[in-house]
Amino acid sequence: MSRYRLHVNGRRRTVDVPGETPLLWALREELGLTGPRYGCGVGACGACVSLIDGAAARPCVRSVEDAAGARITTIEGLHDHPVQRAWLELDVAQCGYCQPGQIMSTVALLAEIPDPDDEQIDRALRDNVCRCGTYPRIRAAVRRAAEIVRGDR
Amino acid sequence: MTITRRGFLGAALVVAVPAPAQDQQIRTVFVRVDARGRITATVPKPDTGQGVRTMAAVLVAEELAVEVADVTLEQAPGDPATYGPQAVANSTSSRQMAEPLRTAAATARCLLIAAAAARWQVPVEECTARQGRVRHPAHAALPYRSLVPAAAALDPATVAVTLTPPERWRLIGRTRAGRSDARDIVTGRARYGAESAPAGSLVAVVARPPWIGAIPDTVDDSATLAVPGVVAVVRLAAPGAGQGGVAVVADRTATALRGRELLKVAWTGGTPAADSRVWLDALEAALAAVPGDPAVQRVYRLPLLAHAPMEPMNATAHVTATGVKVWAPIQDPGGVRTQLARALALPEAQIDVRPTLAGGGFGRRIETDAVFEAVACSRAAGQPVSVRWTRDDDTRHDSYRPMSVHRLSATLGADGLPVGRAHQVVTWPLSVSPPFASPVVVKASGDHFPYAVPGDVTVTLRPAPLRTGFWRGVYAGQFGYAEECFLSEIAQAGGHDQVEFRRRLLPAGSRLRAVLDAAARSHPDPDGVACHLDYGSAVAVLATVDAAARRVRKVTAAVDVGVPVHPSGVRAQVEGAVLDAVSTVLGAQITVRDGAVVQSSFRDYAWARITDCPAIEVVLVGSDAPIGGLGELAYPPAAAAIASAFAAYGGPVTGMPYGVPVG
Repeated sequence: MSRYRLHVNGRRRTVDVPGETPLLWALREELGLTGPRYGCGVGACGACVSLIDGAAARPCVRSVEDAAGARITTIEGLHDHPVQRAWLELDVAQCGYCQPGQIMSTVALLAEIPDPDDEQIDRALRDNVCRCGTYPRIRAAVRRAAEIVRGDR
Repeated sequence: MTITRRGFLGAALVVAVPAPAQDQQIRTVFVRVDARGRITATVPKPDTGQGVRTMAAVLVAEELAVEVADVTLEQAPGDPATYGPQAVANSTSSRQMAEPLRTAAATARCLLIAAAAARWQVPVEECTARQGRVRHPAHAALPYRSLVPAAAALDPATVAVTLTPPERWRLIGRTRAGRSDARDIVTGRARYGAESAPAGSLVAVVARPPWIGAIPDTVDDSATLAVPGVVAVVRLAAPGAGQGGVAVVADRTATALRGRELLKVAWTGGTPAADSRVWLDALEAALAAVPGDPAVQRVYRLPLLAHAPMEPMNATAHVTATGVKVWAPIQDPGGVRTQLARALALPEAQIDVRPTLAGGGFGRRIETDAVFEAVACSRAAGQPVSVRWTRDDDTRHDSYRPMSVHRLSATLGADGLPVGRAHQVVTWPLSVSPPFASPVVVKASGDHFPYAVPGDVTVTLRPAPLRTGFWRGVYAGQFGYAEECFLSEIAQAGGHDQVEFRRRLLPAGSRLRAVLDAAARSHPDPDGVACHLDYGSAVAVLATVDAAARRVRKVTAAVDVGVPVHPSGVRAQVEGAVLDAVSTVLGAQITVRDGAVVQSSFRDYAWARITDCPAIEVVLVGSDAPIGGLGELAYPPAAAAIASAFAAYGGPVTGMPYGVPVG
């Protein structure tokens, strides 16, 4: 058991866990940030995607030790973000379990590519699984979020 | 005053029962209006993403003349005696929920109107409810909150309850409102199983059989119990049709997982040599030969499929001296309560089952295995325990869609249209328990051939070598798939247009022909076509593919569900069924080698990604049919249309997935 300092959603937090503990469990069970969902634990589904130093990352396969000192943003760190607004406008979600991960992957995409084409959207979200089949609405919502960011309409 | 509702089929009967005098609310089983005018709907069925909560909000808002967002939702505990049927399965939810919820909300509206009419001393017929107020031409509108005390004091038996007629619907079938839980979903606040466990719950993970049917022989838990934070190791008996195992109970998930790694279990029994190719071949060997023209017959081999909901199976239970409380993402809260009561020999009143939001269900959460595991762990630990399945557990220990083989044959008339058909099925039952072990029930579930071609389906059931269960479309997902693929092959062989071929087999004026025509208008020259009629609804699906790239380009589904209560939700269900079809036709299948399921996560269970997603158009076709079911409806024809579309460019469909070895 060791003490690690995590920088999460703009706040400094400390957790007392073994260093190899997956970051996902530290976020969920030590810090109460349950928006990142457990879907697979092996980095294969994207339900936990959060930002680490601005890039989309999978806390289920990152250790606390590795993430200490980095700037972590979970879905709870977004506040009325254009991507969230687009998701609501297009009524994207079905069960919703994968959507925090889809949204965080999209936030990372738009930070890098403000006006992605379909191929770029597909590439960025290829490893975010949605079992309900919301992909057509996700594609549309990513484009809509890009519009909102640009200030269209 | 409290209103309870008795009898959930046929005409609604509203009965008043005494309530505390200080309870100044209009209160029915499904709807409350409090003294501040706030409206709360109790949703009888769990939401697994199919949208029953939103549907409840639309129905109640319609009848209470408010907006969808004005309705606060509560989830009913498992209690079918109070709430009526609660299982979300077999596309029953809209059909079972609509009338009770509308009646409850309409009762509240009529009580409010009666209270206003009494205050104004005018006939109730002259009053209307609109935008949360009761109105009369000669008086200033009264907000509901000012009427609630008087309305709550009325005897509902003295008030005539009328439902809003369809021509005056503002919301049902029309609303542009989104999903009721959408804001919680996009902010991460939505509470699924794990988030619903009470604070301080322990966590358990289970060491599960390494091959099918294995049971723990000896368990060495010394290293596990030495891990700080591990609380207990619990041997689990096989619950119902589930499997046994060894649970590691700990203070944290990571701790429990570490404890599971250190567990030394010797397993015994079961079928360590099981192989799904052998199973499928055995089913095929049981097909009888068909006399007649071998050119007009085809055998289809269909694989095992896993449900793989995004939220893996989990459940939390707290066993105390006074009873059991359960929080879990489940599809049948009433069934869970009944099964627990029976297993624990407790009265149902001592069992409190709280369904949470479910991260997908697709039939998997009809099973109650995770709940029984949580109860066993909580009993052993004396505290609330949350059992969490890993993705590996979820993929390898599912209740799989059964394998099946189908021999289709037809006799053709001079015009190339079929004039006779036969369909032999050999498969496994969905469950070892009656009625699902009956070929009659299996046939009733799968046999929905909608075209005017005489013929029959014969079903032979063999014992299932692993646990099976309900999967989207139930048996129509296999039967209808084979039948439509076969029809497409006949049409293709005869050089017929797939849409016109089917039109000639459907009566003019039929709902199915109407949806087929509607889909064809939106999607000219499709590569694949299929239809389905079930659950009181009709759907036609047209697909266009890029065969060389093995991609589905465009899918159009026209659907007539009678009343599309929440249109965005109706479209979403069809979109989801199309993605299930893309997934299963292009490659997702479960295989078994050396006694164990090969796949373990989305890495090797090849579910569709956004890169596989076609353009999808959903056309809502109106009709005056009563409200129909939808969740299961579109999967079978979507799969058949997509597979047949590939077959238009390549070899015939011989099973699922298309063009790869099955099993």
